[in-house]
Amino acid sequence: MELELTEEQSWISESIDTLLSREWVTPQDVADASPERRRQTWTALVEFGSFGIKKDGEDGLGAVELCLIARSLGSHLASVPFLGSAAVRLALAPQARSLPAGIAALLSSHDPIGIALLEAGSGWTVERAGTRLAPGRDGLEIRGEKVAIEQLQAAGQLVVVATLDGAPALAITPAGAAGLTRQAQRCFDETVPMETARFDAVPVPSAGVLGGPEARTVLRRLMTAGSLLAAAEAVGAAGHILDLACRYAGERRQFGRTIGSFQALRHILADAYVRQESGWSAVRYAAAALDDGDPEAAQAASIAKAYVSRGAREVAHSAMQVFGGIAFTAEHPAHRFLRRIGVRAQQFGDAAHHERRLGRELAERVSQARSALSSPVLAEAFPA
Amino acid sequence: MAPEERRLREEVRAFLAENAPSPSDLPRSLDARIEALRGWQASCYRAGYVGRAWPREFGGGGRASVEQIVVDQELAAAGAPEFVNVVGLDVLGPSLLRFGTEQQRQRHIPPILDAREIWCQGFSEPEAGSDLASLRTRAVERDGRFVLTGQKTWVSWGQFARWCGVLARTEDPGHGQPRHRGISMLIVDMNSPGVDVRPMTQITGHAEFCELFFDDVLVPEQNLLSNRGDGWKIAMYTLGHERGTAALPRQVKLRTWLDRLAFTLGDRALDGRALLDDPGAQVSLAQAMIGIEVLRYHAQRTVGEFLAGGAVGPDSSSVKLLMAEAEQRLAATAVELLGPAMEQADPAKQDEDAFWEETYLYSRAASVYGGTRQIQRNIIADRVLTLPQE
Repeated sequence: MELELTEEQSWISESIDTLLSREWVTPQDVADASPERRRQTWTALVEFGSFGIKKDGEDGLGAVELCLIARSLGSHLASVPFLGSAAVRLALAPQARSLPAGIAALLSSHDPIGIALLEAGSGWTVERAGTRLAPGRDGLEIRGEKVAIEQLQAAGQLVVVATLDGAPALAITPAGAAGLTRQAQRCFDETVPMETARFDAVPVPSAGVLGGPEARTVLRRLMTAGSLLAAAEAVGAAGHILDLACRYAGERRQFGRTIGSFQALRHILADAYVRQESGWSAVRYAAAALDDGDPEAAQAASIAKAYVSRGAREVAHSAMQVFGGIAFTAEHPAHRFLRRIGVRAQQFGDAAHHERRLGRELAERVSQARSALSSPVLAEAFPA
Repeated sequence: MAPEERRLREEVRAFLAENAPSPSDLPRSLDARIEALRGWQASCYRAGYVGRAWPREFGGGGRASVEQIVVDQELAAAGAPEFVNVVGLDVLGPSLLRFGTEQQRQRHIPPILDAREIWCQGFSEPEAGSDLASLRTRAVERDGRFVLTGQKTWVSWGQFARWCGVLARTEDPGHGQPRHRGISMLIVDMNSPGVDVRPMTQITGHAEFCELFFDDVLVPEQNLLSNRGDGWKIAMYTLGHERGTAALPRQVKLRTWLDRLAFTLGDRALDGRALLDDPGAQVSLAQAMIGIEVLRYHAQRTVGEFLAGGAVGPDSSSVKLLMAEAEQRLAATAVELLGPAMEQADPAKQDEDAFWEETYLYSRAASVYGGTRQIQRNIIADRVLTLPQE
């Protein structure tokens, strides 16, 4: 698997950094960025071509490129509806030709997309959603309640994960649909605004509903893509706060020396560097696996998400330790990075979620291999 | 995977299925075991699986470096015995190829490849561990020869080695100069008069490494590697090389051990259920797996630069840190999870426990050998993060 960035990929990464330096605010000011500034930054990203996503047989951006963009957004702490918009399109793209028209249309639009997945009291799973799709007067209707929908106020379209005939399904609805009641929600990072939504018989045309086995495939891919993009953003945020901490350690003097010359701090920073760099290696590998259609891509994404969720937080903690008291003031940007990392660490499953899943799958594989090994013995013991 | 890579993997697998001795086939006594391992390396060499990327003119295969990594990964995956001349292959052979004269390479490279001559390295000393530049072994030039005096330690396979790459001080660094000046690398014949080898028993119970004593050992001038004073440069190259290339095969070995642990947990019951079905045990296994897989992802990314012909950069220190972390976590997880079951084990299953106890004990060396965890952090702080010097 090719893990070096191509020239084009490096160019995308540098261009997005340049774009954000021009359009977006500094980390100190992220909470005060005006709605116009957010829209302007988003428009610039769209115009850059951030959603020219590769469909089967066509040229375009894949998971690696979108993760590079997400990493830059994390590094700049940009507040735009990118995560949902990119994850949904990445999930849909391989099925582009067989999707219902209303869903396939998302792939040729640049509308910001929100994801309504979480429900109060349940985890990051697409199975057994309490929100249901059921026949109403004119076709299917959505009923239920969702929480923690990121950037809903900016989203044009909403992808709703629901249950249809006892199986997972997804439906598309305009974010301003009748019967949809929204309410702002507290969020650990105020620059990643979250809302709850209640669906009181919100009608959806059949062209906007995907059910059956294909829905499960798309939803699994949505979880994989979402995990990777969230992890990529956390890696970007971790990289930036680590840079700031290294610079500070090279300037700040105590005991007559620059504090970066103290081994206690040098080792904290070296460990943080390893965590951050290897976190990016993990995201990079899993994204390439997803682009290659590797059957182990979902597992690699779980590994990357689990590793980065713990690792990026660790990097932020280490950086704050290097800054000392100054990082405890509201005007210092350290807590902005910590907050962003904290939110991205949770989304699409925190470390514990993915560790449980990986452990369960490993145990199942080994149990199957064990029974395969013992089957000749069983066959002998219980001849047909 | 490229088709040629797949073909090579299949070819190596077929060879191993036919030829690889299982660890239980190897003789018990250490001397007989070493002889068997020499034979194993020689047959792998004849098959083209040793020194595959080394130059043809010295007996190598002349192929791309990535092919040797693929072969080493397959050897690790099959649980084949490790090559007995590992120090020659991973450490001193690459240094000879990089810094040696034509004559030195003609003389030494072929017998490294087929294990006719085993090599060891004389770097650390009782008073020069992490602070390698403070070494006290001296080589004084007299009548066209070096007279070598001093003591070395942690010399793996020293009792079986014919040659030793020795770091010795040939000049005083001079007042105010860095201490790594004036250190040279000598190729020392272990059969020379005045060489004394004393094996040391390790915590695993094996005597894999030795102390070496040099008492006025005469070393011919032509056994100087590169120039006087180049020893430090050569040592840094060899250690970097070892860190840069060993990680991917080692990662495969760790992955096979993880699967082995999962199998064993399926075999052991505690309070009426298989340990493998315990959710806590599953999470511990997952955490060990994450460390092992991230090591692969990161090593592939950094080794890529090395394979493209570049030097092994300071990022090899990140790989080294992740490798030690992954190995130690896996081994500690094994003894923690098997702990209660180890105490109550069926005597017929004790071999498995012995394996994990030894693996656990050995894993503690992973953050010490080849440059301690603290030294690796220093390298990153200096050369990657360019923090102020201590």
